[in-house]
Amino acid sequence: MDIRYQLEKPVVLDVQMQVRDFTVLLGLSGEGKTLLLKAIAGLIPARGQPFTGLAAERRPIGYLPQGYALFPHLRAWENVAFPLPRGAGRRAQAMNLLTRVGLVDLAERYPAALSGGQRQRVALARALARRPELLLLDEPTSALDMATRDEILDELIREVHDFGVPVLAVSHDPHLAMLADHMAVLLDGRVVQEGSPREVFARPTTMGAARLLGFRNFLAGRVEEMGGAGMVVAGADWRLRTGLQHGMHSGMAVTVAIRSEDLVPGDALRGSAPNALKLQVVGLQEEGVALRVRMEGTLCLDMLLPRIQCEGRSLALGTDLWVQVAPEHVHVMAG
Amino acid sequence: MSAWRLGSLDPCRSHRYKLSLEISNGEQRCDYGYGACCLWCRIWFRYPLGCPWQVKWECHLSDATAIAIAASRQPPARWLATLMAVAVLVFLLAPFAALVFATDWHDFQFAPGDLGAIRVSLFYSGLALMLVVLAGTPLAWWLAHCHYRGKWLVDALLLLPLLTPPLAMGILLSSFYGPYSPVGGLFSQAGLYLTNTASAFVLAQIYGAMPYYVLAARAAFEGVSEELEQISRTLGRNRWQTFWLVTLPLARLGLTAGVALAWVRAMGEFGIVLIVAYFPQGIPVKLWVNLQDIGLGAVYPLLWVFFLVAVPLPLWLGLRSRRQGMF
Repeated sequence: MDIRYQLEKPVVLDVQMQVRDFTVLLGLSGEGKTLLLKAIAGLIPARGQPFTGLAAERRPIGYLPQGYALFPHLRAWENVAFPLPRGAGRRAQAMNLLTRVGLVDLAERYPAALSGGQRQRVALARALARRPELLLLDEPTSALDMATRDEILDELIREVHDFGVPVLAVSHDPHLAMLADHMAVLLDGRVVQEGSPREVFARPTTMGAARLLGFRNFLAGRVEEMGGAGMVVAGADWRLRTGLQHGMHSGMAVTVAIRSEDLVPGDALRGSAPNALKLQVVGLQEEGVALRVRMEGTLCLDMLLPRIQCEGRSLALGTDLWVQVAPEHVHVMAG
Repeated sequence: MSAWRLGSLDPCRSHRYKLSLEISNGEQRCDYGYGACCLWCRIWFRYPLGCPWQVKWECHLSDATAIAIAASRQPPARWLATLMAVAVLVFLLAPFAALVFATDWHDFQFAPGDLGAIRVSLFYSGLALMLVVLAGTPLAWWLAHCHYRGKWLVDALLLLPLLTPPLAMGILLSSFYGPYSPVGGLFSQAGLYLTNTASAFVLAQIYGAMPYYVLAARAAFEGVSEELEQISRTLGRNRWQTFWLVTLPLARLGLTAGVALAWVRAMGEFGIVLIVAYFPQGIPVKLWVNLQDIGLGAVYPLLWVFFLVAVPLPLWLGLRSRRQGMF
């Protein structure tokens, strides 16, 4: 499904993207992601396709806002039955939907007596009761705790696949985007990149998108050499080998992006390995079981060392450290 | 690391609980006083038996230093708060007790016309309440949902009838709807006389009760999440259905309070009614007439009836809505 929506107030948005199966639109907080969903749902005035000109109650969409907005005065099955027409089979239909999301035993409970994940599934069943052509999810991970988030997300994605309804989920959580079938990146009111998560996470096209996708190291340089196997990008005091990338030419100004987790200590290799750099440790910070190492020298880099790499290694502020990055992990962007 | 020992600790001299603490890092073992718990080298103490004092104790085995933070507020003097609450309640309810003692139970009889006043008050207050709810609910919904420039002015204007003294309001109504005013003249030509008639009585009650109902209902509607109303629309319900199925049930606690308040205001309205509709006499005006014509003793039977008919409805509505409020 192709989506094109334009909004003038309260933020300027011009979003054009495709929705395939489970699609995630990734964007920073305050970019207008929720507004986009409301515009598609017909809850705020906007120009766009599809569903243009239809009142909110006539649009064939299912909308799950943050927190799920279950009606607190209705039981779980009554919430699911809310969009169904009055009739003899109404309760049976609602119970059938609750069975499909695995909550039929909790049908008589009020939302206040349900957990976050259970509420989400009731809201999903309610949204699907209308047989929507498109399901809109607003930050589906925001109301879930870390301990159960992955499990609930897996279930959610499996359920929406089972129902066969295309889903557009908006989120600032790259983790959710990794699980998607298709994803897009929203930046400054526009979609700057879309594709499969594997493709987008590996090759962001702009620095903003790269930041959003978890890149922490950015270096400005120029393409120095281009060969059949790859390129060499150089800055003031550094040179890095990279994989070959299309649309580049010698002398071109580029930005190099490297993920913190793609940098590895290379003590044994010293200067002989490709992209080996000798830097001084200027910052150490524990991140759970990993260690974030800030290094300075000919360039400034941020490295995330997993627990297994930390074992047997004595890192201290001020010490010199050899690090390296594989050429195929050095991402080069124009500009 | 060297073993170290700390003696007794008394962070709160005014309290009878004392903590004695001994820590030995040689065996990584903590012996602690009453009410304490230990987790590795970080120790939290909580004083028992409801004392709000809390001590957080941290020790660092490497440098053998310990920091005790014994800080909290004094426990509030609960007995003082309870005493004050009881005193205020007694102050508020004392006049009602006086009614029990002042009533002459051996000679408990209504004055002539009291039963008629009861009928008038019950019937016309019911009618006024119905009109207040019918007209006030859409206004309250509109005030709660519509956002526009200058809304503060509408809010201020809404407060005007509420802030106007009832007698002054009666005079204003008399000036506006009276037979010699242009508006009153038009109504008179249509056969509707708005002074000293049943219509005038209901009109006065509406002016007395509606501002209270609108304010309560507006607050109730504002308390309903707009998101829930929007979700209802995305689930195929139009605005009217959304109002009935979502807004009204969720606002019912506040609306019930508004109805109860409006009922009491309508039943008890005296100032406006006295000016605009001295006849037909309802309970408040008849109480005043009895007081003037017969004396204090003659008002008690009617006063009892007033409490019996005015108070149960709000009480019942309030209790019912509170019970249903537990989803």
